[in-house]
Amino acid sequence: MRPNGRPDDGGAAGTGAARRAVFAPVDTRARVDTVVRRIGDAIELGLLADGEQLPGETELAGQLGVSTVTLREALMALRQQGLVTTRRGRGGGSFVTLPDDPPEERLRARLADWSTEELRDLGDHWAAVSGAAALLAARRTQPGDLRPLTRTVEELAAAGDPATGSRLYGRFHVELAAAAQSARLTREEIALQTDLGALLCLVLDDPVHLGNVSDRHRAVISAVQDEADERARALAETCVRESVGRLIALRLGTPGRATEPRPEEDTHGQEHRARGPRGGRR
Amino acid sequence: MGRSTGLAGPAGAVADTDPVEGTASCVGDPDPVDQVMDRFRDSDPVDEVVRRVRDALEEVFAAVAETGADTAALLSAASGPGREPVAADLAGLRPGLRARLAGHPLVSGVGFVAAPGLLADAPGWLEWWQRGPGGAVRPLLLDLDPEHSAYSDYTHWDWYTLPRETGRRAVAGPYVDYLCSDEYSLTLSAPVGLGGRFVGVAAADVYLRHFEAAVLPVLQRLPAPARLVNARGRVAASTDPDHLAGSLTRGPDFAAVLAGPPAEHRADGLRMLPCGGTPLVLVTAED
Repeated sequence: MRPNGRPDDGGAAGTGAARRAVFAPVDTRARVDTVVRRIGDAIELGLLADGEQLPGETELAGQLGVSTVTLREALMALRQQGLVTTRRGRGGGSFVTLPDDPPEERLRARLADWSTEELRDLGDHWAAVSGAAALLAARRTQPGDLRPLTRTVEELAAAGDPATGSRLYGRFHVELAAAAQSARLTREEIALQTDLGALLCLVLDDPVHLGNVSDRHRAVISAVQDEADERARALAETCVRESVGRLIALRLGTPGRATEPRPEEDTHGQEHRARGPRGGRR
Repeated sequence: MGRSTGLAGPAGAVADTDPVEGTASCVGDPDPVDQVMDRFRDSDPVDEVVRRVRDALEEVFAAVAETGADTAALLSAASGPGREPVAADLAGLRPGLRARLAGHPLVSGVGFVAAPGLLADAPGWLEWWQRGPGGAVRPLLLDLDPEHSAYSDYTHWDWYTLPRETGRRAVAGPYVDYLCSDEYSLTLSAPVGLGGRFVGVAAADVYLRHFEAAVLPVLQRLPAPARLVNARGRVAASTDPDHLAGSLTRGPDFAAVLAGPPAEHRADGLRMLPCGGTPLVLVTAED
């Protein structure tokens, strides 16, 4: 690579263009959306309470790592969604307001912010991370490593409300990545939960799916315990894909489709068939 | 895994054998390691590994012991008839915690973790300070409300349960610390008592990459690839590309090696030597 950045032959110019793309500012619109989603999710998950005052614009922008301009746009969008009210003057500021719509309606509105392509990509990313985590955990697990995962699954199965279930669902995958002894995979799982937290509330609302998710997670633990690395990966991927598949079906307004695994998830061949009875027994 | 992967075995084999009161004094103690080393006089590099590992961990344990002593004194002063300690009392630890982060390059986080119910005004509390990416020292601010956070209950982590159950200091990990730093770490901890009652743990984090930097030079002086493993067989540092940090060495009972006499053991084609009073075993392939 030429240190002066002057383009020379075609190959190097190509590299230069790619580098410029890498270092180009992130799309500002995407940043606004990210901030809207994050604050909106925090409100939906109850992390920010009704009537709570948000930090000042400068402080909040600093915490979120965005410019104040971006933050203002995001706050405007949140005001339009009715999630934030801004009062001027003494004692003024931005306050969390929960609209009167039932929570599920608001969550569905939040889901509508995602395109199906974005959801599919989110699912691909999550499946890649959790699948790899399960595979490595199976290779690197000792007796005792699985206690947190087992505890989380039992709490998940008994979760009284979707928000609690969603937090435990996320914690399971963070713990799985930690069992893989990978700090990077763990950080990826934590970052993914920022997006997934609110969305998963929508699918965990259904007790049947909550039961399925719990069973699938128990099967992942069994595979990890058996040091069956490929089976653990396939099970973790299937679990993630089924939940995201349901989200996509919800987004498309065809929830009925989500009750069966999609055909492409049945392509694990013997691996898949072999684990059938085990998964079913649990 | 964070909550359960420790150097100590389930039966407490993970815990260090020194009582917590003696942590500071054991740094220079004459110990059986020297006797063991007599048998290794022709292999000084092994001696150096054992000493380096012990010195590194003892330096961190010294920071833990200071934090524990500060905490006990502070809680004692803040407790009395009709008075229970509150979270704000623990702010008195901060100058000491900052000084320890500044004075111990291996320590990336240090503090006191209160037993639930200790403080009158908070169900749980971590007075925890850590060095950030830019080197700035900052407090860990956790959401400890179970209604908001799935990570509010910290009483399942090895660094908490081991000192509580054994009454002794302990080394937890290596494990991914997704509560405090999201780093692959060792956490060294010791119980803190108030009037004979367990009131929490003093602890310090060592990022595994820093531990590796401390011990790798001496490991590399050994004539053959070697690794340091914990009581459960988890590799903490290694010069063997086939057995890297984070992997498991399955087969030998490392907890038994650590519990036994400080002599070389052989099993499954491996030579194993406990690292003088620490819960780590030096492992090399048999010649």
